[in-house]
Amino acid sequence: MEMDREPGKLEQIVSQFRSKILHVILESRVPSLHHQQQESLSLSRVRKTDKWFNLVLGDRPPALENLNFSLRNLLDPMVIDIILVRHGPCSSSVDNLYAPSAAAAGPSTETVIERWVVQYDCPRVFATPSGAEAAVSYKKIYKKCILLLRSLYSQMRLLPAYRIFRQLSLLSQTYNFDLIYKVSSFSHPFSREEEDGMKEYNFTPVEAPPGCLCVSVTYRTTLSDFNLEPLVSLPPKIITDYVGSPTTDPMRSFPSSERGAHAISFPSRGLRSPSSIPFQRPHSWSSGFHRGIPPTKTQSLAGSPPAYRTSCKPYDISSPPADLFGNRIQNHRVSTLQQATAYDEYKLSPPFSPSASPSTPTYLTGANPLLTRHCSETAPVTIPLPLTGRSTRYLSPNSSDPSRHSLPPLSPRSSKHDASSQESPSGIRSYRKIEALRAGESPSGLSNLYSAPKVVRDSKDDSGRFSGLLSSSGSPRIGFSRSSSRLSFQDDMDDCEFSCPFDVDDVDVSDSSSQNTESKKASEFTAQSNLVGKKSQDAAVGILVHLLRTAPPLRQDSSCYSTHSLKTEYDGGVGMASGFFLPRKTADALEELNSYREMKDLLLSKSGTQAVRKEGMK
Amino acid sequence: MNCEVCQLKELEVEHFEIREVLLCILHTIVFHRALGLVRPKDVDLELFEITYVQCGDVELEEKIDEKIDHFISWVEKHPNKKSQICLSFYEVKSKQPSWFTNKTERLYWEQWYVNLNVTQHPKHHSSKSHHTKVIVDPGESATEERSSRRAMVEASLREVLFQIIKFVNEKKDHVPPISEGVIYFPYEITIPSSSDSAFGMDMIKRMLHNGHPTMLS
Repeated sequence: MEMDREPGKLEQIVSQFRSKILHVILESRVPSLHHQQQESLSLSRVRKTDKWFNLVLGDRPPALENLNFSLRNLLDPMVIDIILVRHGPCSSSVDNLYAPSAAAAGPSTETVIERWVVQYDCPRVFATPSGAEAAVSYKKIYKKCILLLRSLYSQMRLLPAYRIFRQLSLLSQTYNFDLIYKVSSFSHPFSREEEDGMKEYNFTPVEAPPGCLCVSVTYRTTLSDFNLEPLVSLPPKIITDYVGSPTTDPMRSFPSSERGAHAISFPSRGLRSPSSIPFQRPHSWSSGFHRGIPPTKTQSLAGSPPAYRTSCKPYDISSPPADLFGNRIQNHRVSTLQQATAYDEYKLSPPFSPSASPSTPTYLTGANPLLTRHCSETAPVTIPLPLTGRSTRYLSPNSSDPSRHSLPPLSPRSSKHDASSQESPSGIRSYRKIEALRAGESPSGLSNLYSAPKVVRDSKDDSGRFSGLLSSSGSPRIGFSRSSSRLSFQDDMDDCEFSCPFDVDDVDVSDSSSQNTESKKASEFTAQSNLVGKKSQDAAVGILVHLLRTAPPLRQDSSCYSTHSLKTEYDGGVGMASGFFLPRKTADALEELNSYREMKDLLLSKSGTQAVRKEGMK
Repeated sequence: MNCEVCQLKELEVEHFEIREVLLCILHTIVFHRALGLVRPKDVDLELFEITYVQCGDVELEEKIDEKIDHFISWVEKHPNKKSQICLSFYEVKSKQPSWFTNKTERLYWEQWYVNLNVTQHPKHHSSKSHHTKVIVDPGESATEERSSRRAMVEASLREVLFQIIKFVNEKKDHVPPISEGVIYFPYEITIPSSSDSAFGMDMIKRMLHNGHPTMLS
């Protein structure tokens, strides 16, 4: 390989190195990107980007592509801030819940808990090396970059912020804090107070003549002084008015549980309507991520998992919406905003189909009808309910796994590999479908959803150096389809003859099989949910209770008893109880009691299994 | 080529913690020396709030598990002793065969010494299960003592991992070139042998085998 004669080899290494580091950092600090990566890793496909530095990380989110583009001047430092946002308690009113522009947000504080700085320290512009030594030099540089990336990957999991990231990655719990990131080419220095609680670690620079690659991190040594805690859900309440309740008419029809489906599908952090976020927050990628952006309570209203998990009275008509969602929604608000901007694993960002206007999506307007549904329906969470309308498609990720919500919260100690694979696939799957739909969207339409490209263009000065700030709490995948967001930068890398010194053949597996699987599972879920909707278990129980009440009394003959019990089993499996509900004489009762004793003796004398067989044979 | 040696900080562990601690340390080291194409796999420890990274090679995992099993067996026979596990990376070089040496020799270019001080008698625990918990006296004081001790072990383990990262960062020049298609460098895990508790015999054997004196850091 004539590496020494290829121009820009060093520049290519440095550029890819920065991209890879950014990917490593964000995938272990931003839950949405992490889930996305887990899904892409499960596809067992090695991409060209994975081959760089021999570290398979999965798909690069479009956000990274845009960030790379905006920070394409390799001589500029790349500063990645990991910011902890803590949400404070706040009051709420019904009006605020319905008004996207209302600014009744509680105070939230942002703290930079980690700052990564990646810089190619070079005294002059890249010079094209030549000679055999250059090839050797490239290989050594590349090897050292690999080593640095390995150590960085490990260190990401040892720093205090990783624990917070893992907590946020648990979809079954919501917290009063969130993690967002900000990438820029400059950084505001820390105050003295901030510096006191921080420690710096400098990775050994990689010599890459004429300069050297430097990576350093400044991180808070402890996060225990932050009041980071899961949000307290409403206390559980007993619902007496449910399908199948003895006091309820078994034939009564309950309202459809679109609400339930919505709730199930929403991520635990209240990421209901990320798609609305871009409209509400046109500059979500700017440095002022939280500044001047009213909390869109409507988004958080789009669903509140804690409310659903408790399966309780909040949904009772008697409770006013304000009480239902006040605190809870507020607590979720900012988190929802950030995660929505991040376009989380559930990929609800296009709950808006491509045809949706850039205005507030109807899905969200959204908050009102959703709230209404929340207030008026009382279906238990665990029963999968039929999804209807447009929401079905976007909610299927979560709805396809309703058992998720019936499971206890995942322990943060569980294998991350397994946990995320349990949670992310369906969400990511749905996103892929949505993304395919949006592939044909025009950039102008997309720019309404995301401001990242806008920021890039607006901030770029005449010198071509990007000095703007890009920040996000996650992947702006909503705004960028793969086909449209593939910047020429990446294409240039692919076109360049320089490949990784340790390149291997690309094994590209088409996504058709995975997409077929996704559509299959979606259809399977739809079938199942229809089936359940048609004849819920609770309705069957109600019918059974009714039958038992009207069933004839038990007879004393053991054979008849067995037959009767069999019959009742077929009817619903309750068995002997029906006879006790009819008025009888005392003598009859005594006779029956004796028959029971005989039966008991018979059963005890034989094994339980034999008794069941005999009854079955009869 | 120099042979870089890294003596990791000694860890005081109980018998039931050996497996997790060794898995964490050995896999972390190997991950930093698996410079081929890897799909990193995060693994959470059960006893500690630490996540380490594996390189995802099944064969490697089995080999490490096997070595850990041998080590635990050795610890059961030699309780309450300080022990050392050596993870070495080498290159295979062919050389002129003679009556003293084989045709190929191993050039060790890096050695990692994991130092453990197992403090509890292994009788109370099963060597095969890492879910076994310490049998302690009931009471809050015992629980508090146990949790504080566990926190200390966790902190020490974290220090060891940082030590590994620091070593990997600081010393890169001695790492051989990466061969295409090879995921990780040839390695060897040496545990104390059953015949003796001293580690010196293994060192002497290695010196005779490769003919290079072990350079101390």
